[in-house]
Order: sequence, then C-alpha cells, then structure tokens
Amino acid sequence: MNGEIQVTKILDTSGKCCPMPMVETNKTLKRLAEGDVLQIIATDPGTQVDIPSWCERTGNQLIASNEQENLFTYYVKKA
Amino acid sequence: MKKLAIVIRDDEYDKILTPLAFAYLEASEGAEVEILFVNWAVRALTEEGAKQIKVGGNHADKDAWVRERVANAGLPNDINTLLKAIKETGDVRFYACSLAANIFEVNQDNLIPEAEGIVGASWFLNEHMVNADHHQYF
Repeated sequence: MNGEIQVTKILDTSGKCCPMPMVETNKTLKRLAEGDVLQIIATDPGTQVDIPSWCERTGNQLIASNEQENLFTYYVKKA
Repeated sequence: MKKLAIVIRDDEYDKILTPLAFAYLEASEGAEVEILFVNWAVRALTEEGAKQIKVGGNHADKDAWVRERVANAGLPNDINTLLKAIKETGDVRFYACSLAANIFEVNQDNLIPEAEGIVGASWFLNEHMVNADHHQYF
C-alpha cells in the first residue's frame, strides 16, 4: 500500500486507546521535519475521525489511509 | 484550541480520568491547559491523596480491573504518574483551590511539585475560565 510513499518514521500505537494515539502522534511529529512522513498504525477506531480532523486543524497532510481487519494505517506529511 | 480551562471536583478514579485525558490530548497538541482542582479532587495534587483515589460508587469493586484496562490503553494507571506525564507534555498548569485546600488538608508542604500552587477561585475564574477558548467542569 505504501510502496510509493517515503515513510520517515513509523509510530505503532496498536492496542492503545484515546488519548494515547493522538498524544503519541503529536509528540512524534514534533520531532520530525517539515515534509517528513509519519506512518501511524492504530487499532483504536476513534483514530478514524481523530486523525483526519487533527490534520485539518493543524495543517498536516493526510496523504493516505487504509484499514485492514481493524488495523488502521495513516500516512501524515508534516506541514 | 489555544487555551483550555478545566475545573475538576470529582476524585473517583474513573471520573477523574476523563478530564485528565482531555488535558493530555490538548496539551500534546500545543494548547495551554489550566486545571483547578476543587473539593475532594484537590487531594489528587498530593502524593498521598493521589494514592487514595479509587473507583467509587456502584463500580467500587472494579478498581483493579479498571486500572488494568487503563494500563492496556497506554496510560499511566496511577494518578500521580499521569499528572507528571501530562505536565511533561506541554503547557499545563495544575492549581489547588484555596478553599478546597483548607478543607481537605492540602498545603504547600504536601503539594506535588507539578502543581503551581494554591490559588483563589476568583483569580482562576476571571483569569483563566473567562479567557479560555473552552472550559469544562468535571
């Protein structure tokens, strides 16, 4: 799926629930540079709305996402 | 959101988790978060008081179960550690209400270092609640 996306860092939040996926996403992204791509793996279904709305709010770009058997993957490009 | 102000009065473990989770979220996103602990919740700002916080009411027998679930969710499952984690995340300030501190025996000597201090409610309401983008009561 991410064959064409150059991922800078992978954040695996599997098993964790709100607020931790967003807390860890914010913390991790702060350490990345503009244009870097963070791949976020999550099992919390709340991330399906949390991450797109967070991107909209913060200006970071959700460049792709997918779901397979309750495993959610997001690719976010840092603004 | 630039600024979130929260008043926490309930010190039952499961009930104090929600405002602290909200604070954690907003702090991680860069918001300024101000929290006033009133009533029994002021004791969360002491090491001993934080240890005594338990699941209460109809679910009192589920304390260990809730804590295990909280840990599985990735959160520190004791209140003192959670307060430290929130404080380290960003621009967060914890205040003890002076009335509550007086009633529930919280003072400068037993206040945790993460707390800013003991303040009057008038100051908090006028300086933080009024100026916040959003305020919440728990």
